[in-house]
Amino acid sequence: MTRERKRKIESFIALSLSTLAALFGLFWLVFILGDVLIEGIEALSPALFLNDPVPPGVAGGGLRNAFVGQLMITFFATLIGVPVGVLGGTFLAEYARGSKVARVISVLSDIMVSVPSIVIGTFIYAILVKPVGHFSGWAGSAALAIIMIPVVLRTTEDMLSLVPWTLREAAFALGAPYYKVIIQVVYRGAAAGILTGILLSIARVAGETAPLLFTSFNNSYFSTNMNEPIASLTVSIFQYAMGPYDSWHAQAWAASLMITVFILMLTILGRVIIRWRYGKR
Amino acid sequence: MNDTVEIEVKRLGFYYSGGTHALKEISLPAYKNNVIALIGPSGCGKTTLLRCFNRMHDLYPGNRYEGEIIFKDRDILSKDIDLIDLRSRIGMVFQKPTPFPMSIFDNIAYGLKLRGVKTRTELSEHVEQALRHAALWDEVKDKLHSSAYALSGGQQQRLVIARALAVKPEVLLFDEPTSALDPISTAKIEELAVNLKREITIIIVTHNMQQAARISDWTGFLMLGELIEFDRTDKIFTNPSQKLTEDYITGRFG
Repeated sequence: MTRERKRKIESFIALSLSTLAALFGLFWLVFILGDVLIEGIEALSPALFLNDPVPPGVAGGGLRNAFVGQLMITFFATLIGVPVGVLGGTFLAEYARGSKVARVISVLSDIMVSVPSIVIGTFIYAILVKPVGHFSGWAGSAALAIIMIPVVLRTTEDMLSLVPWTLREAAFALGAPYYKVIIQVVYRGAAAGILTGILLSIARVAGETAPLLFTSFNNSYFSTNMNEPIASLTVSIFQYAMGPYDSWHAQAWAASLMITVFILMLTILGRVIIRWRYGKR
Repeated sequence: MNDTVEIEVKRLGFYYSGGTHALKEISLPAYKNNVIALIGPSGCGKTTLLRCFNRMHDLYPGNRYEGEIIFKDRDILSKDIDLIDLRSRIGMVFQKPTPFPMSIFDNIAYGLKLRGVKTRTELSEHVEQALRHAALWDEVKDKLHSSAYALSGGQQQRLVIARALAVKPEVLLFDEPTSALDPISTAKIEELAVNLKREITIIIVTHNMQQAARISDWTGFLMLGELIEFDRTDKIFTNPSQKLTEDYITGRFG
């Protein structure tokens, strides 16, 4: 009886502590998201999306340049990062399966995933900004692509490894060459997982500021020229939040809300795909 | 019963990349339009032997064959054999059903497309033919474009057989095709195998001795990489000439 009682007390303490820890985490999360939501919605206006920045004190400024710039930088980063990541993951899971090279690259990618993004920003600064002499959209995309590659590469590798080996043998037994087996059978089997990995990697880089500060920098004017400095939401948020004007703060809140919503949508989309593909049966 | 030799195995030896000597001096004839069963305890080399016929071992570096397997007057173990051609003439069905992640129709059409069949009408015709052949047509004709994963295990296995049949192979290799299936599905596959031998030669690896006795015409008994005995199935199961064979089929070991 006493022993049972002791166990119940221990169990109660463990349960209480973990519940408290979870509540503590959730509290700040809700606090932050709630704050962004409240402040952001208040500052939302059509002008935010339709107008470019105006000098402080002039009414009706927006962040059209930053929305467009952010989309362009992210788009080109995806265009560079996804093929490299998917092909690299394919190499690791298929052609180099089980080899030493594959293991080394896997471990290096895992390290790359956790490298602070500002390090990647300074790296790109050194090889793409300094030699050219000015900041550029391309440098920003390159920095984000480098952050994406290990994420996409590792998810691709993991997802391809989950496809049963017998499925490949079955395709081989029908006389298919390896590249056709990969493209027509293995990719199909792993498509939902790879797509989710890509979406999550986009979500991961969409909120990055540090690597863009050193690469695409910022631009107060509307520009779609990737060879020049280009505005982005994250860097604009950074500058506006640091600035002395209330109108800047309001726009920074609104931009924060938009970027949070964007990332949330990508994450939800990723989960929907997973549920749709793996949840059934 | 046909006594034309479709495949002649001559002093076949096989080494895995680790150096394991998995098959030793195997010689046997596979007669055309017969069902040949390979039986033996786990690890005896029966699946290894089966996978020599379509050179599946070539997928993994370091494996090595010895001896010859003669099929259509050619040694299929020679280096200049076109594996794609070989594998379309000698098909394979695996232990677990292996439908591809695509529709039923596309599964069957896969091998055909590899061989350059492109027109929709030609594909449809072959797909229907193959599904009828595998006794699956009536069950799936209304849902050809739904996922193959929606089928039951037994149906999936017949789908895989249909997929192999679609490219009109001359030989079909079965690697324990019913070990993952329920008795009713097993009976259907066995019936199918017996019907198919009118057109093709079947080599089947099985753990189930009753299955070998039910459906095969010839049986080979392997142990530790050696072919202990190869004879007509009724002879093997009623009056084997080797003591080891008798001990195995009467359940004294294995």
